[in-house]
Amino acid sequence: MAKRSILLFAVCFLMFTLAQGCASGRKYAWGKYDTDLYYHYKKPQDREGHMERLKEIVDNAEAENRVPPGLYAEYGYCLYETGNIDEAVVYFEKEKVKWPESNVLMEKMVRNARRQQESLKRSSSTAPSQVQEEGK
Amino acid sequence: MRRSFYLILVTTLAVAIVSGCATAPKKDYSAFRAADPHSILIVPVVNRSMDVNAPDYFLSTLTIPVAERGYYVFPVDMVKHLLENDGLADADLVHNADTMKLCSMVGSDSVLYVSIERWDAKYMVITTQVTVDFDYKLKDCKTGDVIWTEHKGMVYSPQQNQSSGNLIADLVVMAAAAAITKGAPNYMPMSQQVNAATFADPQTGGLPAGPYLPAYRKDYDQQTK
Repeated sequence: MAKRSILLFAVCFLMFTLAQGCASGRKYAWGKYDTDLYYHYKKPQDREGHMERLKEIVDNAEAENRVPPGLYAEYGYCLYETGNIDEAVVYFEKEKVKWPESNVLMEKMVRNARRQQESLKRSSSTAPSQVQEEGK
Repeated sequence: MRRSFYLILVTTLAVAIVSGCATAPKKDYSAFRAADPHSILIVPVVNRSMDVNAPDYFLSTLTIPVAERGYYVFPVDMVKHLLENDGLADADLVHNADTMKLCSMVGSDSVLYVSIERWDAKYMVITTQVTVDFDYKLKDCKTGDVIWTEHKGMVYSPQQNQSSGNLIADLVVMAAAAAITKGAPNYMPMSQQVNAATFADPQTGGLPAGPYLPAYRKDYDQQTK
């Protein structure tokens, strides 16, 4: 009986510790990704702040070699949205290499990004049709 | 001895309030095992509460606990934008859309559908009662079937927890106290706790360890006994 309750206590304590979701003991270096997203949804107009914070998270995680799934892509998409196509493609490719599960989506994103780049170039028509990147 | 028993009782009670861990029923994981998902697409959250901000806020709390279970989780914010661009700006539309179609859009193995059932604060004479309640469904991309489901919530009322002299119980109070700031409840700590308890462990009805965890396929055996 006493043994059982001790076990129960241990299990519940463990559960509780897990429920706390403390930053230590995590597999990936998330930084404040969840809080950042929350602020992003709270203040969507602060796009630059969101981008900066994402970049910081990605850089830190890369330095620790614990980049979480989706983070390269999330940052890449911000770059894409702000017209920074070449940089965006770099991050989509990084996501693809790190996480093979993202292959289909990242290929699609890279294609979209390239297409947009093409049409931007065509519409400005001042730049010569010289596309630096051939293949990946 | 009596004291320690009391301690255990208080702790268990306190934790049970937070996570409801003491009463988790055993689940059948055979469908999950057959599907063996490696990646999870978390789509925008359906809202059945009165708070229009709840779904976006809650979406931000889902990625970490799911990915930490060892699965590839698609970038939730990017996916949200892609769906909007595809004419699926409304989460209800996404939830009613064909699962397999969503899957093929991103190349996922499974889709996690979450709906907010409760997200509210009741202001009473002496206390405030904050309630969150969520419904989780994971569907397999190959069959469209539900392979895992959970329903979890949490009610927080400051009056309940104040008079404990116990360290762990006090921690609970501290965690829960963060839920209320100046009369405007902050639902995020509560949401995080509920999510953590929801996904954490197949022993308590959570997600089995995914391919990026060492326990992958090893925690299957225990839960089917």
